[in-house]
Amino acid sequence: MKRNTMSYKIRQYLMFAGPATLLFCGVVVIPLIYGFYLTFTSWDGISKSKPFVGLTNYITAFGDKAFWVAMGRTLIYSAIAVILVNVVAFLLAYMVTRGIKGQNFFRAGFFIPNLIGGIVLGYVWKFVFNSAFVAIGENLNIGFLKNSWLGTPSGAMACMIIVAVWQYAGYMMLIYVAGFMSVSKSLIEAAQIDGCTQSQATWKVIVPLMRSSFVQCIFLTITRCFMVYDVNLTLTEGGPFNSSVMAAMHVYRTAFTERAFGTGQAEALILFIVCAIVGVTQVYIGRKGEVAA
Amino acid sequence: MRKLGFAIATLAVAAMTASPVLAATDLTVFNSKSEIQTQFEEEAAVYSEEKGVNMEVAMSNDPVITHMGTRYSSNNPYVLSMVDAKDIYSLTPEHGIDLADLEAAADTDYAIEIDGKVAALPFCIEARGVMYNKTAIEEITGEDFDPASVATLDDFKALLDKLVEGGMETPVAIMKEDWSLAAHYLAQWVEEQEDPEAYVQALCAGEGDIINNEKFNSLMDTFDVLMEYNYAKDSAVNADRNKSEDMLAWGDVAFMFGGNWDWSLIVQSESDCEMGMMPVPQNTEDGSNTKLVGGGSKYFFIDSSVSEEQQQAAKDFINWFAMDAEGQDFVSNTCALVSPYKSNTLDVSDPLSVSVKAYADAGNLIPNYNFFPDDHITKAGASMQKYLGGEIDRQGLADELTEYWKGATPIEH
Repeated sequence: MKRNTMSYKIRQYLMFAGPATLLFCGVVVIPLIYGFYLTFTSWDGISKSKPFVGLTNYITAFGDKAFWVAMGRTLIYSAIAVILVNVVAFLLAYMVTRGIKGQNFFRAGFFIPNLIGGIVLGYVWKFVFNSAFVAIGENLNIGFLKNSWLGTPSGAMACMIIVAVWQYAGYMMLIYVAGFMSVSKSLIEAAQIDGCTQSQATWKVIVPLMRSSFVQCIFLTITRCFMVYDVNLTLTEGGPFNSSVMAAMHVYRTAFTERAFGTGQAEALILFIVCAIVGVTQVYIGRKGEVAA
Repeated sequence: MRKLGFAIATLAVAAMTASPVLAATDLTVFNSKSEIQTQFEEEAAVYSEEKGVNMEVAMSNDPVITHMGTRYSSNNPYVLSMVDAKDIYSLTPEHGIDLADLEAAADTDYAIEIDGKVAALPFCIEARGVMYNKTAIEEITGEDFDPASVATLDDFKALLDKLVEGGMETPVAIMKEDWSLAAHYLAQWVEEQEDPEAYVQALCAGEGDIINNEKFNSLMDTFDVLMEYNYAKDSAVNADRNKSEDMLAWGDVAFMFGGNWDWSLIVQSESDCEMGMMPVPQNTEDGSNTKLVGGGSKYFFIDSSVSEEQQQAAKDFINWFAMDAEGQDFVSNTCALVSPYKSNTLDVSDPLSVSVKAYADAGNLIPNYNFFPDDHITKAGASMQKYLGGEIDRQGLADELTEYWKGATPIEH
């Protein structure tokens, strides 16, 4: 049997990658194309007809002030959350790779919040912010805890960020742990023989060699923060007075609550493009300066 | 071998000539009233067995239209769907059948008609107003409480002051939920207009003059008083609904704006306090302070694409809960709801519904306006939350509402 014919290659591809391709097309490619098609219609979600409206939905989306406010809010949230998640994750990873007693237990413990779904996390933290902290504040007379932080716009944003750090830091920690462990001990020893202190070895040798971990973690955090919806829904419900509505929640409301599927879909596409540009740019810049031992 | 062949042939002939066993008709029902899902499922099991249908009741936590859209997109619509009145106008023109031939249609004043057809029939009557804890009020004042005695805002405020003097420091709870503030409280300002439809058109044209509107100011005057006596005054936009309902049930507060659907939460407190519902107190003389706002609620429509047998089964079910003694018992006693059908003369068991029934029977319900835009709750609700939280004053609220209504699109009807 000739192995370099086109039919042979197609058969081989279909045999090994055919099912995966079919599934990928079914759940990603076709819905994406269909969604793109919906952006040119004024479909209300239930009607049998989908009237073609050209670029009207994009014009509406670009003129939707609330969408851009939500987008700006998402950018601020993402910027702060990405920094904090990665700083905390890096510090945790540093701590649990120093050989402290019970470090495996700590690794598992810090990772657990990531196993809890965003919906549940939102409800749990809502109770913490609304009831637990308030009770502590009232009983110990701590002023800033007496009223729920979820009651003010800045407080709600802070709560969102705290929960994001709680949720993602453990997961990112694992990637940083892998990064720490991938750095050869001989390099660190060589650096120390050359006169490096422990911290100098960390900053001058280990961290540069972990660049790929940073690239991965920052990319993952950016994409997750940009698309946040579940925690937004259960923790703040967009409140108070819509001051914590993130871009994904705005898109959902436009499409499903206000039944403007076309506009919602157009806004979702814009959000996807913005997120992709930020994420890919970050990966490009991050990878550019990567070094290898 | 011959015997075996004969037996197989006999069985085959018997199978071919035997009268076919009729499969029970599938009656899928969508229930958007989550608090009665358990009762509905239990009743469906009994109903299926008695009537020979296969009735299944489903509910969803998604917005109704989203869920219905999914079912229609997957070509798997419910035979019978219970949705809110506003959704009927979007769903039934394409997906509903005319229910005019049902006995139940002639037995209610709350059917929804679209283009001369009976598009939907209600499951219950619901109304909104101020819920009160009679026991708690009487314990403090030492007098019988008659809600009619606090119809005006001045009288209501005097009672609140009396309650404060008597030791109930904060006698009011306010729900911070946008649907309560916008779709229930604020909506009343439109519903109390002489011609709500014309007023909404004026609002959309930017001519509503909200800040000088008598009804708007009257209701907001009352809202200001409710805010003043709110137990969660310092953190009003963060008040927990369950806690507020519990406080009302136990008499820690005496008043809370809401509707008879709130009973499903209040009852969980297992309080034995006597409760009821009264109109929103207002300094007005047009009688609107003697009426609750409400009417038919949770409307059923039958899908046009299902088989005739299924449509008939759905019609039978509607007639059953509206007019059959067992069905009426299900609505009034099992679900503790007020029936919108004249032939149902059963008393209701929950105290809030007792009040609603009394006002409905006396013709003292201001009709719901069912055509608020789809984004009214989220956008007008946010403005009301700002007002509740002290972020904006009345002028600011009126400005935000004016701006909102300029770009709003009421539901087509």
